Amino acid sequence: MTGEALRATSANDPQQPTPPDPPAADLAEAASQPFALPEGYDAETKYASFWVGAWRRFRRNRLAMFGLVFASLIVLIAIFAPVLTPYDYDKIDMMNTLQGPTAAHPFGTDELGRDILTRIFYGARPMLLVGILTGVLGLAIGVPIGVLAGYLGGIFDWLVTRLIDMFSALPWYLIVLYLVMVLSPSLENLILAMVITGWVGSCRLMRGLTFSIREQDYIEAARALGIPRWRVIVFHVLPQAAPLLLWGFASGIPTAVFAEAGLSFLGMGVRPPRPSWGRMLSDSGYYWQIWPHMIIFPAAMITLSVLAFQGIADGLRKALDVSENI
Amino acid sequence: MIAYTLKRLGGIAMTLLLLSIFTFTLSRVVPGGPWMKGAEIPLSDAQVAAFKAKYGLDQPVWRQYLTWLGNALTLDFGYTFTEPERTVTELIRSALPFSALVGGLAALLAISLGIVLGVIAAANQDTWIDNIVTSYAVFMSTIPSFVLGFVLVYFFSVKLRWFPAGSWGDPNDWRDVAHHIALPVIAFGVPATGGVARWTRQCVAEAMASDYVRTAYSKGLRASGVMSRHVLRNALIPMITNFLPLFPGMMTGSLFIEQVFGLPGLGRYFVVSSTNRDYPLVLGITIFWALLIALTYLVTDILYGIIDPRVRITEQRR
Repeated sequence: MTGEALRATSANDPQQPTPPDPPAADLAEAASQPFALPEGYDAETKYASFWVGAWRRFRRNRLAMFGLVFASLIVLIAIFAPVLTPYDYDKIDMMNTLQGPTAAHPFGTDELGRDILTRIFYGARPMLLVGILTGVLGLAIGVPIGVLAGYLGGIFDWLVTRLIDMFSALPWYLIVLYLVMVLSPSLENLILAMVITGWVGSCRLMRGLTFSIREQDYIEAARALGIPRWRVIVFHVLPQAAPLLLWGFASGIPTAVFAEAGLSFLGMGVRPPRPSWGRMLSDSGYYWQIWPHMIIFPAAMITLSVLAFQGIADGLRKALDVSENI
Repeated sequence: MIAYTLKRLGGIAMTLLLLSIFTFTLSRVVPGGPWMKGAEIPLSDAQVAAFKAKYGLDQPVWRQYLTWLGNALTLDFGYTFTEPERTVTELIRSALPFSALVGGLAALLAISLGIVLGVIAAANQDTWIDNIVTSYAVFMSTIPSFVLGFVLVYFFSVKLRWFPAGSWGDPNDWRDVAHHIALPVIAFGVPATGGVARWTRQCVAEAMASDYVRTAYSKGLRASGVMSRHVLRNALIPMITNFLPLFPGMMTGSLFIEQVFGLPGLGRYFVVSSTNRDYPLVLGITIFWALLIALTYLVTDILYGIIDPRVRITEQRR
């Protein structure tokens, strides 16, 4: 519902394509014809229509497209940071401290004469690293555990549910802060802490989804055919989860961006002199009250990045038609 | 209802037990601590040994945990590392009111403003008003409170000089306190209005689409009457369950805003003691917060049952 406002103008698009059938129906149909399995259906072609339709819906969402463009820019900046700037992020230049924006330093310099634009460029790195690694590792841990819990049930599911409850007992940033404190603050430990708390989300999604899929007829049919458990999970349960997981991955990134900025701001993330946008806010001390350029740019980058990744996640949720509460 | 409450209390106890085992064991098993090398004041081996003996850190982990658990059951979380003359419980008690006030006021602001915006958006569905409110909600929910805090301080403290840039002010003078915490409450509460407005709009829009609302309209009732008596009363139920947990959520989340404005609340203690690796204090605050949040959810669910009889019926049948 959130991006509705921003894509409302294109809603009466006359060329609006009819929404393609969800893959659930296709797969269910394919699976309900036992003799077509397993070589009878081609996951690639069955899915093409769904993903193409999803992309069309995503493209019409302006906030999502803004997010995609902005996120791509950030990725490019993070990769090519050394090429884009003649300065080093930790080069101290006491002759040029606290300068406002000039031609030589478009975003000005900080209290040690370091170029703020350069630090913004390099600051994209920890942010993206936390966002992507947390998402990938969280999925790698959460998905198998969630599927097994949902599929096997019993004592394993009970244990997993207790773990989920435990990690949900507190807002995630408190647990992350606690873990980072115990492990000692650094970027690596921040990522580790985010993974330790972050797998719970994808695990919960997968557990719920597997529960609902497990009871469906085509799974029973597959099992009646004597298809081994792991094959049922890999070929029948997981493909169903792909849209949900893609959205789950995307919606974790804004959280991770916020986490990196917030924890670095509290002094529990990236260690100096490596730049981080959150750290730039807290490191500006009281200088920024006189030289506001020191915080305008990091603050804007944090907000815009969260907005961009949130826009992508919201756009995916609508384009893939996944429910927020499963 | 009583059986349900007891069952939920059992679940909460189980979760807290697991959480305490996890956090406690981690703090004892992972090498390092405030006495390690690189600490601000280097300690000799004898000093470290004396420190460990004083806090019982030389005992096996399971015995330390059982001692801690026994004390924690009476809400005694031991002594802090950094201020050895004060107990954790004392510190929590002295810092909690600050966090509770800022978090509570921010939650109130978020809920009241958010509900108003959400209802306006739902009442004007698919018009430009709705578009503005939903865009506002998306944008607001992406602004971190500490970023907004900086922006507000710059304009209202540094430029206009209307409000102080930080600190609590004189605790005995409520006007002074109000003057000091106005900016933190706004910086903290306003970003949260986005989520509240979104959820309110959804609840109200769902209630407006229901049959009884169409019936009410077709009976010829006035729009304002339908809105207040039929739509809002029914939309209130899902709203309450979602907004009540905002209070402990905002209290725990205030650590960022307390850092920006230098407020002496629980969140600030949490951050400072994390930096100092003051394990007993962090552990105490963590468990205390988890308890607070769990109890709020329990109260919310019980309230839900009282407000909505349908929930009670399904609960009994189950």
